[in-house]
Amino acid sequence: MTDSLLFDAVREEIAYAFENTAFFRKHMEANGLRPEDIRSLADFRRIPPTSKGHYRRGFPAGVLAKGYTLTSPNVMRFQSSGTSGERLNSAIMSYDLARRQATGFGVHRGFDGLWQPGSRPRLCRFAPPNCSDVECATGFSTMEDRILADGTLVLTVAHDLLATPEWQIVKALDEIEQYQPDLLVVDPTHFAFLTRWARRLGRKITSPRKLHMVCGYTLMTRVARRQIEEFMGPEVPIGDMIGMSELGYLGFQCHLGQRHINDREFYPEFVRDDRPVENGEMGELYVTTIDDGLIPRIRYATGDWFTPTGEACPCGSDLPVVRIEGRGTHMVRLRDGRVVTPGAVDAVVGDAPWLDLYKLEQGEDGDCTFRYLPNDTARPGDEAALEARLAETLAPNRVRLESVGYVSCERSGKFQSCVSHLSAEGAR
Amino acid sequence: MTARNAVRDDFPVLRREFDGQSISYLDNAATTLKPRPVIRAITEYYETNGANIHRGKHRLSEEASDAYEGARVVIARHLGAAANEVVLLRNTTEALNLVAGGLDLPPDARVVGCLDAHHSQLLPWRRVGQLELTRLDEHGRLDRDHFRTLLRGRPHVVALTHCSNVTGVVHPVAELVAEIRAACDAVIVLDAAQSLPHQRIDVQELDVDFMAFSMHKMLGPTGVGVLFGRSERLARLRPASVGGGMVDWVDLDGSVDRRIPYRFEAGTPAIASIIGSAAAIRYLEAQDTPERHRHAQELGAALIGGAVARPGVRLIGPPDSTDRIALVSLRLDDSIPTGEVARLLSDSYGYMVRSGHMCAQPLVSGMAGGEVLRVAAYLYNDVSEIEGFYQALDELVSWIAPTAAMEGKLA
Repeated sequence: MTDSLLFDAVREEIAYAFENTAFFRKHMEANGLRPEDIRSLADFRRIPPTSKGHYRRGFPAGVLAKGYTLTSPNVMRFQSSGTSGERLNSAIMSYDLARRQATGFGVHRGFDGLWQPGSRPRLCRFAPPNCSDVECATGFSTMEDRILADGTLVLTVAHDLLATPEWQIVKALDEIEQYQPDLLVVDPTHFAFLTRWARRLGRKITSPRKLHMVCGYTLMTRVARRQIEEFMGPEVPIGDMIGMSELGYLGFQCHLGQRHINDREFYPEFVRDDRPVENGEMGELYVTTIDDGLIPRIRYATGDWFTPTGEACPCGSDLPVVRIEGRGTHMVRLRDGRVVTPGAVDAVVGDAPWLDLYKLEQGEDGDCTFRYLPNDTARPGDEAALEARLAETLAPNRVRLESVGYVSCERSGKFQSCVSHLSAEGAR
Repeated sequence: MTARNAVRDDFPVLRREFDGQSISYLDNAATTLKPRPVIRAITEYYETNGANIHRGKHRLSEEASDAYEGARVVIARHLGAAANEVVLLRNTTEALNLVAGGLDLPPDARVVGCLDAHHSQLLPWRRVGQLELTRLDEHGRLDRDHFRTLLRGRPHVVALTHCSNVTGVVHPVAELVAEIRAACDAVIVLDAAQSLPHQRIDVQELDVDFMAFSMHKMLGPTGVGVLFGRSERLARLRPASVGGGMVDWVDLDGSVDRRIPYRFEAGTPAIASIIGSAAAIRYLEAQDTPERHRHAQELGAALIGGAVARPGVRLIGPPDSTDRIALVSLRLDDSIPTGEVARLLSDSYGYMVRSGHMCAQPLVSGMAGGEVLRVAAYLYNDVSEIEGFYQALDELVSWIAPTAAMEGKLA
């Protein structure tokens, strides 16, 4: 789609949202705007960003378009725990989800054979419990109880990942074997944990069908990716999804490892201090949906930060290439005013074959603690080398490394590899 | 528009907003909010004292002990009990377990309970005896004939529930106690967790042997449960926990328990919360006026009226406001997920209500057939909030219920 065609689609979305949703009409009117005022990109940027809070409060009466209800055909409702407790109730049209997913998968040649005419992939989900719409964290449910309307089998996971009891792990492994999925949709940290257990138990994670894997929900660390790739082998294509529960696939990782943003079903903006950033600079992703009949969103501030590279990707896709930086509320804020993103921390840690899991936590005093689970291959000097790299990156703030046997998840069940109490507090 | 409830300003939580929207707290049967005097009493203890009680001779400890024991006196006076008949524990559940375990009943002991009991008044008795439950009528009132029949079996214990946390029904405990006393010599144990926040109870007049309640359901802090026990009953009760604070003497051969009620209070108690509990009692007593009771009646009438006026909502409990608190449990249509409705009422409209089985699963499963939505009002709520809640529920149901929704939205 050309830029001008895309912008025409944005204007149509604005007009549609204005005419059909009470919230957006009020939002525009409160700022003295009407759809016909939006004639250029500069006009467009006069619309103040919309936020999760607007859609949480307005759901469903204020944000669902006229003519729809929560039980209209193809409407999928869900409740998300959100990241850092920013929970959300929302809905999405199943076909919007499918087309956004198709655009995402389109950048990865390994996913070409997933959708075949006349058949639907069998899908298993292994992700934090509150993301799963079902009571999967208790041991009372059967496999049938946890199959969603769209055929997805939700595997049981404990709220506190590292405290998951062995029976629950065995149950997840058994059910994958029994369900024979085409696609595993997983949280990478959770799945890396499952692979460690599978190795310990002498189990494999396979399917008689061609298996594909989508990672999402939290930042995919290089440490998690290394473990998943080693365990699953080169035949299983793995793609990192850029997504949000309320929007579906915002982007996907291509077979060459670059992340691409979906600018077919969304109009993306990367914004910092109310201005669009240049290529190579970090900005918060705002998205405007294109042709979302159910809940059109205009300049929706995602809270996720990216750096658009402006580079063409040799994979062949012309979807814009970005580098993932992480949640705004997870940025490490240094005393000299610099910000270190979760993505940057992950680059410093690297794939670290000597550790299984890590979490960097910035306290309210600004100092950081890096907790990690070492594995059997850890050698003297590994920690010191990492400590030196982290100290350099995070200076002038201090960082302390702790080798531990356990690291907790957040209440929602998500495991974040990098959190900052300073940033979280600032966002309140 | 009715006048705004004046006591709201005493509850700082009610100033909170979510996404720019004020909140209505209607989950008061689970726990109540705390007024400033309670918060102040707790803070003051930590800011000016912080010492342990009954442990030393220093001045701070003595001050803390005085405040702690002063709170016991305030609570006892509120019940018409002597101070040594008031045991300070963690919650109602702990209190009821202490009695059930401490009576040392024979394994075949017969216990008569009520079908609308909270799990905390069911499970402890099921563990120690043969529990038989008194049936209810279709509206949740006790089947008195069945109750009398069960009493003829000469139970060791009758475990009464004063007020159901599901139906809101306040049972005629005085009449029930008289019937028990006339029929047998059972120990009478009353769960008053849902009733005492709404009405005064004089334990001497009521003639129960034990009564349990929690301060957090009556404006007090969490972590404080109270067991009233008639002194002669307490003296024969076996302590559930042993250790520091409950003994007068320990040597290599044995120990001597302290007198009641201290022998049941092993370990360091929730000192600040207990001091805060006295502030809660004082606050409640100051609010114990005819106006407040009239206000409670209005809240109850609005809750019941709203439920019976809606064909898509089934009221679990009596359709009238006689002998009940301002609480309703609502069963929605089977096609409407109760938990999701509760979440949307909270996030989209600001109404905090409870969903689920209310820790009374046998009753809720039997009367409602599944999860219910519970709306429980208290002295800081207004009738306008109840009206707003029902409007929000109507709107939500119109978005979720398939038929009504499409007709309304496409018109």
